[in-house]
Amino acid sequence: MARVKLDITRRQFLATGLAGTALLGTGMGPGRSNLAMRYPDPPWFATGEVVTTYNYCDMCPWRCGIAVQSVDGKVIKIDGNILDPKSRGKLCGRGQAGVSFMNDPDRLQSPMIRTGERGEGKFREVTWEEALDYTAEKILAIKDTYGPEALAIFGHTTGDFWFTDYFAQAWGTPNAAKPSSSLCLSPRDEASKLTFGFPVGGHEPMDWDEMECITLIGSHIGEDSRNTVMQDFVEARARGAQVIVVDPRFSSAAAKADYWLPIKPGTDTALLLAWANVLITENRFDRAYLDEWATGLDELTAHVREFTPEWAAPITDLSAEQIRATARVMSDRSPRAVIMPGRHVVWYGNDTQRMRAEFLVNSLLGVYGRHGGMYFNKSPFLEAYPHPPFAVTGSSGGCSAEPGEESDVLPLGPTGKARADGAREAFLRGPTAMQELIDPMITDDPYRIAGLVVYGVNLLNSIPIPNRTIEALKKLDFVLAVDVLPQEHVAWADVVFPEATYLERYDELSPIAHKTPYIQMREPAVPPMYDTMPGWMMARELGLRVGLDAFFKWETIEEYLDTRLRSVGSNLEKMHDDGGVIIQEGKPYLEDFVADGETPFHTASGKIQLASEDLAGAGFDAIPVYEPTEEPPEGYYRLLYGRVPVHTFAKTQNTPALSAVYPENELWINEDEATALGYVTGDRVWLENDNGDRSGPIAVKATQRIRKDAVFMAHGFGQNAEGLTNANGRGASDTKLMSRYKLDPISGGGGMRVNFVRLVEGG
Amino acid sequence: MASAFLLDMTRCIGCEACVLACKAGNQLPVDTQYIELIEHTSGTFPDLTGGFQNHRCYHCADATCVAVCPTGALFKEDGLTRLDRDACSGCGYCVQSCPYEVPVMSDGRSSKCDGCAANVGAGGSPWCVTTCPAKALEFGVRDAILAKAKERVAAIKDRYPKAQIYGETQAGGLGLILVLPDDPETLDIPADPPDAPAVVDLWKHVVQPVSMGATVLAAAGAGVLGIIARRNHMAELREVEETEKAGVSSGDPDTEDV
Ligand code: SF4
Ligand code: SF4
Ligand code: SF4
Repeated sequence: MARVKLDITRRQFLATGLAGTALLGTGMGPGRSNLAMRYPDPPWFATGEVVTTYNYCDMCPWRCGIAVQSVDGKVIKIDGNILDPKSRGKLCGRGQAGVSFMNDPDRLQSPMIRTGERGEGKFREVTWEEALDYTAEKILAIKDTYGPEALAIFGHTTGDFWFTDYFAQAWGTPNAAKPSSSLCLSPRDEASKLTFGFPVGGHEPMDWDEMECITLIGSHIGEDSRNTVMQDFVEARARGAQVIVVDPRFSSAAAKADYWLPIKPGTDTALLLAWANVLITENRFDRAYLDEWATGLDELTAHVREFTPEWAAPITDLSAEQIRATARVMSDRSPRAVIMPGRHVVWYGNDTQRMRAEFLVNSLLGVYGRHGGMYFNKSPFLEAYPHPPFAVTGSSGGCSAEPGEESDVLPLGPTGKARADGAREAFLRGPTAMQELIDPMITDDPYRIAGLVVYGVNLLNSIPIPNRTIEALKKLDFVLAVDVLPQEHVAWADVVFPEATYLERYDELSPIAHKTPYIQMREPAVPPMYDTMPGWMMARELGLRVGLDAFFKWETIEEYLDTRLRSVGSNLEKMHDDGGVIIQEGKPYLEDFVADGETPFHTASGKIQLASEDLAGAGFDAIPVYEPTEEPPEGYYRLLYGRVPVHTFAKTQNTPALSAVYPENELWINEDEATALGYVTGDRVWLENDNGDRSGPIAVKATQRIRKDAVFMAHGFGQNAEGLTNANGRGASDTKLMSRYKLDPISGGGGMRVNFVRLVEGG
Repeated sequence: MASAFLLDMTRCIGCEACVLACKAGNQLPVDTQYIELIEHTSGTFPDLTGGFQNHRCYHCADATCVAVCPTGALFKEDGLTRLDRDACSGCGYCVQSCPYEVPVMSDGRSSKCDGCAANVGAGGSPWCVTTCPAKALEFGVRDAILAKAKERVAAIKDRYPKAQIYGETQAGGLGLILVLPDDPETLDIPADPPDAPAVVDLWKHVVQPVSMGATVLAAAGAGVLGIIARRNHMAELREVEETEKAGVSSGDPDTEDV
């Protein structure tokens, strides 16, 4: 893979002064001086007036509400906003490092246009006018030649709305996609919609406060350091809730578990079916609840009859006693016993069915709408800023919605083309699948995709088969990268828009579907550093240049936000004075719906679909069955990957404070296996997959904490981006070892736990 | 009144938020951290137990670092071990003598948790405590913290039969009271740290003179060497001397092999 350093011809005059905007470059900015500051005395809070601004954290997509403290125009400290239901005054380590992220000296500082070959990383700095005009010209040319559908827009992180949702719909492309769907949540949320008629949603609606038993399947809370989840998990457990952890690895959470089931990777559905078997055959399920709220109990009963714990034991490499005992622990505490709907569920390509199996067990436990189970979340009321009808509705669909799903027909772009990702053919339904848009860029099948906008997605470190992505990047007519950092793929862009970080910009309001629906705000603590620009401003400036004026009627972002806030009786100033959040009333429990004579379930029957007619009608199993997953070849290990608490995806590896705490990933391998291979902890090895692709070097962590048939590493390392001082070449890349993925034929998810590696010497 | 931290290792989930909050709130240099999370595992797959050692200043009442500090940069206040970096001469004695291996040299001076002296002094609470998502950390009057720790241990005996308090008596009583799920050794914490007065005595009469040019280190017993040899004492003393050119005269090269 190309190792590309951005080779930038510096422009002489930085501040260009786009009319009516506040684009004063702040030169070296407060960041540099911060980094140089050693043990300040007196402490920062004694050096001037401490000014607080409200925001939502962007260090991961979880969106904790934060209170940002600045002194003398310098952002110093970020704390959790005590009024915010997600953060409750606390933050994870990444959130605490937000100032370090902002002050990263490697940040992109000016708009740039490519001068060398694509991938060479040669650019010249240009004015915003030039960058915007050039981009507008390029995408208009694509539109004229191929139609607006030929522009794909990929986006991630908490600012992705402006490009991936708003601009995409106004412009008219159905090919907008987010990795948070088909490379993360699609199978889970499609399974939920098939079963209950609603997606799980971004903030898993677990009623932690009254929960008595928590089951985690692959969720590694603590290493996955989503703030609220850690808070709730630890509190519930300290209150005495039982914890069951199903994981091939003795994770931080497994070390806290009352029951650890070190399952053989890929066999979770067998375990779930056996749990269902125990609950039903031992009459340990909530029959009254299911009689009232579910259909398909008889089919489910018949279906799981043969799937006894004895059947599942050899498959899962667990004992029948373990399986039976844990099912009883759950049922003894039902309905206050929940299998947590995990994240990043794209594992083996059969993931919607596995998630359905989870939801069926949860249904047998009667958890939905029950205290201590899963509550029903609700989105806050907030009116949109008035805009003309979109050219294409639904856009990417976000993490959990199929674009335009109300109509059940795939929305068409202005020249009559539906999304190019193979929805309805290669897979049944769900949000636009990012990884399925790569082939069309190469093959022009079903039609040509000629342009790509990448907003905040680390393209070559998140989509499997990165060599294929590079092939696509070579073939495109135009690539725009919007980012804060010179990530690996930025070298492949024609134009680079450097974004101001979340601490330097206003942004769209953040509506959180929750037990108490609420709205978060983002206001700048400082003006944009360097010659950077907020995403909303880029989208608007581009929109005005490509004839989308009607969609960007607002003159200032303040006016846009104030208009929206007026619909909930507030405005920017008032929301700030109220502490940065607006909290509304929810409708969390079954009894709330019964009182209103409504059903919370939005399936056709208005009930939980234990057997799915939708799936049966489309030729899939109405109730999940266990299908074996391909085994690693002799001498290879299954490649598992996950998180360490101080890093997010492939985004934070360069952040100075986080890199200092965890600079590179390690390869977890069972100690006995390592010994047999002649390795000890600290040895540096390379990894090679069964396709011959290599990544490394990576330090061995020989440990008893993992099964013998798999290895594990933190995702997001091993980046080849020489513009990233701390991240470049550090550790090994799981993505670069993914020469295949398995498409989930239901949700379009790309299953990535199907790659096998062995340890080798040298690169 | 003496203050103390409560650190409940049955709650701590190893997320390192405390590490980063401390770095941010105290504006520590990027390569410095006052807290380190170290994973420990016992047993063989799949019969395992494990957890984290949350390595940070223990704020000993009889603090060896304070006793050996020649400049008074390290001192006790409100039951906590403070550090005045301006007064630190960079001799590194604290680094060598701490029974818990806490202080490190950063920027040529000692560096360790000072209990957020400035922040707490201004009416705030320690940065690490404020952010800990697991509420594993609390801060308050030592007696109350100790009482709370005892309550905690009693409440978790079912789950952790060997649950115990650490810090009530060690090193004269710590300002960091730990609630542990198991014996301290399982997290690599010494059940009984070397008795401070004995260490200090040897240090003051044997080691300090050596570093100032005396040649009697060979006379020192194995006890003190247990602590000192651990980190290649003489080599580090030479480093200390290099970084602190204006300080005491160099040691006798003959002692190198000791
Ligand atoms: S979980 Fe951590 S990184 Fe994510 S939003 Fe919250 S504080 Fe930020
Ligand atoms: S923040 Fe709390 S839970 Fe996280 S490592 Fe520190 S003490 Fe442990
Ligand atoms: S008390 Fe203050 S200085 Fe000590 S570890 Fe916590 S945040 Fe750091």
